[in-house]
Amino acid sequence: MGLLTNLKDSISRAASTLFSEEDPKRIGIYGPPNAGKTTLANRIARDWTGDAVGPESHIPHETRRARRKENVEIERDGKTVTIDIVDTPGVTTKVDYTEFLDHDMEKDDAVRRSREATEGVAEAMHWLREDVDGVIYVLDSTEDPFTQVNTMLIGIIESQDLPVLILANKIDLEESSVQRIRNAFPQHETTPLSALEGDNMDEVYDKIAEYFG
Amino acid sequence: MPHQCTNCGRTFDDGSKEMLSGCPDCSGTKFQFQPDGFDDADPPSDPELSEASSGSDRSGDGPSGDAVSRTVGSAASTVRDLVAGSAGPDATSASPPSDGGGDDDIIVAESEPVDESHAQADARSQVAGPDEVPGGPGLAATDADDETQASDEETVDSPAEPDGVDPAAESAGTAGPSEDDASTGGSDRSVADEPDTERSDRPDLAQLREELNEQFESIRVVEPGQYELNLMELYDREEYIIALQEDGRYSIQVPDTWSGADV
Repeated sequence: MGLLTNLKDSISRAASTLFSEEDPKRIGIYGPPNAGKTTLANRIARDWTGDAVGPESHIPHETRRARRKENVEIERDGKTVTIDIVDTPGVTTKVDYTEFLDHDMEKDDAVRRSREATEGVAEAMHWLREDVDGVIYVLDSTEDPFTQVNTMLIGIIESQDLPVLILANKIDLEESSVQRIRNAFPQHETTPLSALEGDNMDEVYDKIAEYFG
Repeated sequence: MPHQCTNCGRTFDDGSKEMLSGCPDCSGTKFQFQPDGFDDADPPSDPELSEASSGSDRSGDGPSGDAVSRTVGSAASTVRDLVAGSAGPDATSASPPSDGGGDDDIIVAESEPVDESHAQADARSQVAGPDEVPGGPGLAATDADDETQASDEETVDSPAEPDGVDPAAESAGTAGPSEDDASTGGSDRSVADEPDTERSDRPDLAQLREELNEQFESIRVVEPGQYELNLMELYDREEYIIALQEDGRYSIQVPDTWSGADV
């Protein structure tokens, strides 16, 4: 009896989250470390709320805890799309403190950063499973997109049937190749941008409204 | 007996659902991982990959423990056998449960949680001396004392040493303590550098590592500050690791739904 009631409750809860118009969709910004996820999150948050989400850095794994910016209202064509943005730690299969030693970091700090980054990946993967309604997948277009992390994450996202917007970031850099990313994920549309410079953000917002609205 | 509550010391089999809703005795949510391989004192008569693959056959022998953990355990022990003394500190401290000898040690260990926890406590509290560091000079001797095994000599120190990382690291949490102490002692560079060269020399070890990773670990502590993550494992698990500690302990977040399901 209790089980039935529980079941009924959870079904109605699930239904209400699925069909409720008021609840903003929670959009996770995912991608490998240093792809520009936080820069993008800050760009979106600043453009539409005036606030930032978190500090950006050239050193990988600056974001080691998922950060959320709620009720970001994006206006497109007279309509408003409200989303919660979750900036997640960069996902990777290996974290090595020695990588941080190159950035003038003491060993103790590097080891701690490494441990926190690992916890951050665990958190990001957990959020992907439990808590996001859509994904903005950010890739550094100067890097080779054919990596285990990208393949696996995109695969997971696809298996979840989550709407995913693939962004080719850092197009302001000379080595950028958007086509390489298009080739890597031909089943998805790729939108180029520079989150740092704000290049092509209009199209990004169009896509966000289209995918997550 | 792969998991132990760090609060009350209660132990749980690998795959045990009990601990998923917190420790039934003390409601603790911190557990330490203790893989079977460390109690296992397989006679390394055949230190080949085949031994690992035969692990699944062996799974039928024991009265308890699931096939996966057994396979992992035997594979881990194979690695350790291959590397002879490399498991130094852990092998030494975990030797009491393995006194029974032979393949059944996994089971013996499971039925003797008290011994195991003492052994683990020792391993955790002991500061590994330079001779206990994987690759250290005194390792082969230490191990040979505990498990007089012919193949200790076969594997010899030089190829075996760097792989000292492997058995320890494959067990992620458990190996943490001794390795941590060891590497903070300044020997980490050698530990970090050598496995790569070694891996290419002995592809069967690399395969074993791969096998273990795929089956088992979501986060593998290679050494403090160096982690290998199994994204699928992390994704697949309902609980998630919210805090790692360098002594091999970890905290997990227990989903609300688990506690609610029992009501």
